[in-house]
Amino acid sequence: MSVKRKMNRRQSTLIFLAAATLFLACVTAAGILLEDRALETDFSRINLAPCLRYPFGTDWMGRDMFMRTFAGLSLSIRIGVLTAAVSAVTALLLGTAAAVLGKKADVVISWVTDLVMGIPHILLVMLISIACGRGFAGIVAGVSLSHWPSLARVIRGEVIQLKEAPYILAAEKLGVSKLANVRRHMIPHLLPQFLTGTILLFPHAILHEASVTFLGFGLSSEQPAIGVILSESMQYLTTGRWWLALFPGLALVAVVVIFALLGERVRMLLDPSSVHE
Amino acid sequence: MRKRLLSILLSAALMCALLSGCGNGADGNSTGGGGADSAGAEKTAGEQGQNSVVVALDPNSEPEAGFDPAYGWGAGEHVHEPLIQSTLTVTNPDLTIGYDLATDYSVSEDGLTWTVTIRDDVKFTDGEPLTAADVAFTYNTVKESSSVNDFTMMDSAEAADDTTVIFHMNRPFSIWPYTMAVVGIVPEHAYDSATYGSNPIGSGRYILKQWDRGQQVILEANPDYYGDAPQMEQVTILFMEEDAAFLAAQAGQVDVAYTSATYSDQTIDGYSLASYASVDNRGFNLPAVSAGTDEEGRTVGNDFTSDVLVRRAINIGIDRQEMIDNVLNGYGTPAYSICDQLPWYNDASEVEYDPEGAAALLDEAGWVMGDDGIREKDGEKAELNLLYSTGDSVRQALAADFADQLGELGISCTIEGVGWDTAYDRALSEPLLWGWGAHSPMELYNIYHTIEGTGSAEYSPYSNETVDSYMDQALASTDLEESYSLWQQAQWNGTTGVTQDGDIPWVWLVNIDHLYWVRDGLQVAEQKIHPHGHGWSLVNNVDQWSWG
Repeated sequence: MSVKRKMNRRQSTLIFLAAATLFLACVTAAGILLEDRALETDFSRINLAPCLRYPFGTDWMGRDMFMRTFAGLSLSIRIGVLTAAVSAVTALLLGTAAAVLGKKADVVISWVTDLVMGIPHILLVMLISIACGRGFAGIVAGVSLSHWPSLARVIRGEVIQLKEAPYILAAEKLGVSKLANVRRHMIPHLLPQFLTGTILLFPHAILHEASVTFLGFGLSSEQPAIGVILSESMQYLTTGRWWLALFPGLALVAVVVIFALLGERVRMLLDPSSVHE
Repeated sequence: MRKRLLSILLSAALMCALLSGCGNGADGNSTGGGGADSAGAEKTAGEQGQNSVVVALDPNSEPEAGFDPAYGWGAGEHVHEPLIQSTLTVTNPDLTIGYDLATDYSVSEDGLTWTVTIRDDVKFTDGEPLTAADVAFTYNTVKESSSVNDFTMMDSAEAADDTTVIFHMNRPFSIWPYTMAVVGIVPEHAYDSATYGSNPIGSGRYILKQWDRGQQVILEANPDYYGDAPQMEQVTILFMEEDAAFLAAQAGQVDVAYTSATYSDQTIDGYSLASYASVDNRGFNLPAVSAGTDEEGRTVGNDFTSDVLVRRAINIGIDRQEMIDNVLNGYGTPAYSICDQLPWYNDASEVEYDPEGAAALLDEAGWVMGDDGIREKDGEKAELNLLYSTGDSVRQALAADFADQLGELGISCTIEGVGWDTAYDRALSEPLLWGWGAHSPMELYNIYHTIEGTGSAEYSPYSNETVDSYMDQALASTDLEESYSLWQQAQWNGTTGVTQDGDIPWVWLVNIDHLYWVRDGLQVAEQKIHPHGHGWSLVNNVDQWSWG
């Protein structure tokens, strides 16, 4: 019949996933390579509006905003990766421990989770960042140590629910060892939630990194970070240098949106209830 | 205009969306009180008459502890005339000493006793007469409680009679008249350290009428002032961020608004850009000893800058004019010392830009140009990490330009923003971009004089006995005029000093002109050379401003 069928949803999702991942990887790599050029100042080309040579314009020290934006995004993504990794591991350990180790452990861990969740994120990130001596290390510590509670809660809830699930109980009665039970029956069920949760940490982490550096509590002002770029640009808005804020701001939003979509699609692929849609 | 406004609004909306998306607490800080400020501005613009003026100043110039000299008003980090209170002396436009309350002063041979006679016709604004007892009370209070200014050289003050006050000193301090020019006299009968700051009573040109914290200060002329009656009867000071001040001037809400080189290429209808010379300098310290560790575990000294030839090369290898054109949009003057053009300035500090000479000095020091354009010596690369206070865009740009220029000399530089919490310690081993400039030679002492016991100057490791002894002699001198020449010799006496041919432990770059938008028709009286701090100095003589 019709020879050309439209790609099915699964295929298009996979292609989107690959493209998005590739794009983000490229931005990250490009940013690392461009970092030297992003720091370069050249007073012979200050305050240029966007043009072919400098697509995002230049700032008051003649820095190429295109390079700076990419270096900034790259830094944000790297911080995001580190954060997501640390948060995911913490969340997995604490979440499982709370569910498996018994009532007392559960009370303690739940209490700590609630405590960390109760403090406004921005405040917590700033506190940890300052305590760890600011800079890159401070930011990474601040962001990664404050983002695990929501994921830990999800995992704990899932594990508690799983423990009572009929098929797990049945497997136990049939003599499957605890470890094998976890590996064969629990992890496959947890994985979609866990992966999606981890990927969805990225936009959070990136936005928090940007806002903390924007407020001046993170990286110092010569570093190419999106928050630094945006806070610097505030000074120049009244004199009409819109490009200093617009492009880096849009780029940040774009990256965050891509991560959010990525998380959403991964969930669709992995979640048994939507995988065949 | 409409386009610009639109772009501002759109960008602002974008910023808000970005920030509010990720948490609370962000927006409040970022937009900083602009709304409140402009509300204040509208109110005062309506009242504007022929004898009033509205001035927008930096929010940092709002005195946190109020208008109390004991807590830094006038005599704080940034010195200026206290307006609300009278002072014993004043600094003249050429920064020599004139009289306010004082009618005469003298110092004993040993420099340990200052005797000052004061006018007998001065009343506080509550009607009580100002006597020598009030003066003595003020100085004793200030010595006791001032945390921002150094009064350790004074032992005590006492009133000999109603018009004579005697200062007993711990050590000779010839420049005491400069201290007397910034300490406002408070009334002994009405002074309560808890409330005085927000409700000051003085005898100065103005009375504090209203103070809305974080927004504005309204000063009214003192009708019983003993000197010439102030021409400006009402002075309103608004505290605004730089962009808000610019917008307020654009909207015609203020008569004078501080601004910076960033805005200097803009024009505002009905306003002109006024530029006042300053000694608000910026310079790097160059640690003059080799790297080591002190007893507190801090790194002190820098192996690269410890070589005097390197420091000299840096001093003449910097094109200061290029820096002024690039970073300050032309609004500045080259700086060669911490006190350019002041009475105690030694013009031997001045140097010519000489890149070949700098290269020759570096060659002589053994730093030979490598293939990659970076000099090397014994396999070591010529590298410097330059520090600046993070968040200060002018300092950042100066540091970047300085780094670029040193790069051309073959010195590879990185720049790093640091907070003041760590900057002081790190400056002991790495060059930091500082800002200084005051109406007192004491600054020379503060940065160049060896501190007893440590064997080094306070902010950057350096010590020279000859320089120290000139400054000690200058402080011990009983004649102010004579002390100027001693201060000059401390900088360069023909054989040693802190200039290019001497030890050059600091390299000075630029004096930043202070810029203001001034409404057409407003005559701002002649300004003294402005000190560090882009604040109250402007209104030192607001009583002499006029509309014409």
